[in-house]
Amino acid sequence: MYSSLVRLQNTFGFFTTVAFVIAAFIAASDFASPRAPSVATLKTTSLQVVRGRPHYYSSKKEEYAIIKFSLDANLSSLFTWNTKQVFVYVTAEWPSSGAEGNATNQAVIWDTIITAPSADHLSNLGPASLKKLRKSAAGKSIDPSRGLISLKNQKPKYQITHPSGKIAETQDVRLRLHYNVQPWVGVLAWNQNVDYGRWKRLKGDLSKKFALPALKTKAATTGAAGTGTKA
Amino acid sequence: MLSSLGNPRQAAAQLMNFGLILSTAFMLWKGLSVITDSPSPIVVVLSGSMEPAFQRGDLLLLWNRNLFSETSVGEIVVYNVKDKDIPIVHRVVRKFGSGPNAKLLTKGDNNLSDDTELYARGQDYLVRKDIIGSVQGFIPFVGYVTIMLAEHPWLKTVMLGIMGLVVVLQRE
Repeated sequence: MYSSLVRLQNTFGFFTTVAFVIAAFIAASDFASPRAPSVATLKTTSLQVVRGRPHYYSSKKEEYAIIKFSLDANLSSLFTWNTKQVFVYVTAEWPSSGAEGNATNQAVIWDTIITAPSADHLSNLGPASLKKLRKSAAGKSIDPSRGLISLKNQKPKYQITHPSGKIAETQDVRLRLHYNVQPWVGVLAWNQNVDYGRWKRLKGDLSKKFALPALKTKAATTGAAGTGTKA
Repeated sequence: MLSSLGNPRQAAAQLMNFGLILSTAFMLWKGLSVITDSPSPIVVVLSGSMEPAFQRGDLLLLWNRNLFSETSVGEIVVYNVKDKDIPIVHRVVRKFGSGPNAKLLTKGDNNLSDDTELYARGQDYLVRKDIIGSVQGFIPFVGYVTIMLAEHPWLKTVMLGIMGLVVVLQRE
């Protein structure tokens, strides 16, 4: 009963119990902190559909859309002591035409990772930009101001395509802002359409409906080819 | 301490105890598997393709039922590719259509390009049944033990040996 092996076992057991209870409390504290994210502006600024190879590994030419947009959002309430990063992404979504009428298509056109100051050292940045990022939050372990996003005429990171190879003149396309909160420990949370307790829904996350333009003619396509290549 | 080995009744009881612990752990795992509808409800992150969200050794809790909504864009899913043993944890970035045959495209947050090249030859998209769960919960670092065990197989033998010894040698 009182051998050193048993003592070691008890100590380790007690340590893991305490660690898990503390982790559970931290995870639960997420639900106590209010979240009220909102989007002030989400609109397209330029639309273009071209035909080409959207990726270097594309085997065939297909139509792809380049959607530039402006975004103003306030996600600062998502940053609490248990926030490791917030993944923010903008999708374009449109209904299917033809037989499967209520099926939808959704594609990410732009995304960004906003790390909390406590997770800056993990981010995938060069030394110069990492230094700048660290300096911006010097002395702060939580920096809600990182949740303020303001983009003007932002180029998309991803050109959207469709398995059919056709995307020109698609009707009823909408942009939508989403976020995904990654905690240090606990439950991952995405943006909501309804309020859950102290977590409010994301207001203004949808843009107005728009239609993609017709395919650009060949003369214009060569000029736009540069925007199609990946950085 | 070793006196217990001299008593066959006690030795048998301790062997039984050891078996009980093993089978309880197995039942918990399989029970969790049934509840989450996933063949592997808890996975350990093995690569850095989702950094900074997930590091190597982090533990992910999965859920594989679509109770309220379908698996959609933005979710972090674990999927298997035909003829590849290792499950991959990446984010869904495109979804075309709905239902079990919806075409899904995934990408790691830390990767520059999407997963088309990770899929099987001739496969351009995933479908729902390729996915073994969506990430819902996160516990950092705890899974590092299993990475250690996988990379240094002798540790497995040592650990099993110690566990066995402890159970057999303890008196109660």
